[in-house]
Amino acid sequence: MTTATFDTKTTTKAPEALVPQKAGSKLWKPMFVMALMGFAVGIVLAFVRSDAIFSGDFQDAAALGHFVSAAMFLGFASVFAAISFAIARILGEFRVGGGTVQESSGSEVVTLKMPKTGKAFIGLMMMAMMLIVGAVIVHVFAGIAILDGQTTGIASAEAVDYLEAARRLGVSIYLLAITFGLATIIQVLRFQSIRIRDLAR
Amino acid sequence: MTVAIDKLTQPASNADYTIDTGHKKLGLGIGFVGLMISMIAAILVISAGLEVADGGSETTVGQLLAVAFGLNTLALATLKVGIGVVLVGILVRLWWRIESIKASLPAIQAEGGGTNVPKTSPAGDFTVSDTEPAEMPIHKMAKTLWAPMLAMGYMLVVVGLVAAIIGAVNVGTDPSTAIGASAWAQGLQFLGEAFVLAGISFLLATILRGLRQGGGQVQQALGVPVLTLKMPTTAKGGIALMVSGVMLGIVQLIGYITVTTFETSAESAVRVGAWFAALGPLRELSLGLLLAGIVLFLATIGTVLQFQFWRIRSIVTSDTGATK
Repeated sequence: MTTATFDTKTTTKAPEALVPQKAGSKLWKPMFVMALMGFAVGIVLAFVRSDAIFSGDFQDAAALGHFVSAAMFLGFASVFAAISFAIARILGEFRVGGGTVQESSGSEVVTLKMPKTGKAFIGLMMMAMMLIVGAVIVHVFAGIAILDGQTTGIASAEAVDYLEAARRLGVSIYLLAITFGLATIIQVLRFQSIRIRDLAR
Repeated sequence: MTVAIDKLTQPASNADYTIDTGHKKLGLGIGFVGLMISMIAAILVISAGLEVADGGSETTVGQLLAVAFGLNTLALATLKVGIGVVLVGILVRLWWRIESIKASLPAIQAEGGGTNVPKTSPAGDFTVSDTEPAEMPIHKMAKTLWAPMLAMGYMLVVVGLVAAIIGAVNVGTDPSTAIGASAWAQGLQFLGEAFVLAGISFLLATILRGLRQGGGQVQQALGVPVLTLKMPTTAKGGIALMVSGVMLGIVQLIGYITVTTFETSAESAVRVGAWFAALGPLRELSLGLLLAGIVLFLATIGTVLQFQFWRIRSIVTSDTGATK
């Protein structure tokens, strides 16, 4: 088996990292920090809410319930984004590193084009991010509405359930996106195992 | 058992490295099953919302939400098992890649390539030795524990689902049993989730072990000084977050068990509500810390790859690349 069975691009110079891979290298750290901040705010608000329930202040508790979910799921959206960006960074290392080794050996540089799993990874990640962040925004507005004394629309009891469904589905889609991202690494490793043997021939 | 687990991740060196091992398809297949379970759970939660909007029975709403919770946690665990299968596939491929590099590098090695030892690398400090580095204790632990953690975690999630169903059946008829079962379901399922994520963390550490040992083997086989990256700070942070996450997972289970001891009364209902209000985000924090640890393990893999490609380039070109 040779690299001809893969969808590749041949150049004389090592390729640069793709835009999502460059973004991954730069953004995984800020997303990681944002996740920790989201979780920290969420847990503090949760204890304040617990105290509000003990004190019988149920309006505040209902509003805080929305704020806790917003903070925790901002944390989850950020941590999943950080994971996705870290995977993109790994793919970038494979792309650039593989290219430079080929170039250094004096060979033409054969690079794997972005596999379908890589495209699915990006698409699903964006979809999941929008779903979770959308739910987080609605949670914040719902909390504010409850503090204003509203009981209908986004401040209603049923809205909590709808938002929960959206959040949970968003997390599941994110996990599937991550599976696609990791599956892309399998493809890249398979390609590189074959390509490096080609260099020696 | 350890040997059997090793065989899952480290193929025979003479095996056909070109074949499709099927891990990718299996992992994605399991992932899609997880997504479908999650969709069913989402439909149940939306149905509960519609029931509330229509002023329907509280018992029906409670039953729908209890089952949806159990199913959704099962869905998340299933998706994570799918990720675990793909990571096993990466490990298998990683070892084949090492064999390919071992077989090819002598043919493309520059004269004197890799013999000059630079002082620094673009990826961080490293050690120099004549042979493959000794296995680190955390790597030994990781390669032994990833499979038991995944299996135990998934089993806890399934047991928690059973508790959730028991809770749903008793909503409206036996509040004490319903609250107790709900507490057990939440506590067990999230400890299970924590174990599954710890299993994934151990798999990532096993990948790092493969990169470390494999890199050493390649350099030793070539007869060049063996350069090994020192453990990056991100790896140390990853371990700390993983341990904190698992410990918090145990703490939240203890919290839920405490709730099961509360008496059933109107006053106690407020107390249960207050405890649940704190324990819910606490169990989420446990998973959040484990996921943050996974971010750091993935970042470490990126750094190690950067180091390895730099080292291979220095062997192929005899350029130490110290200033690159």
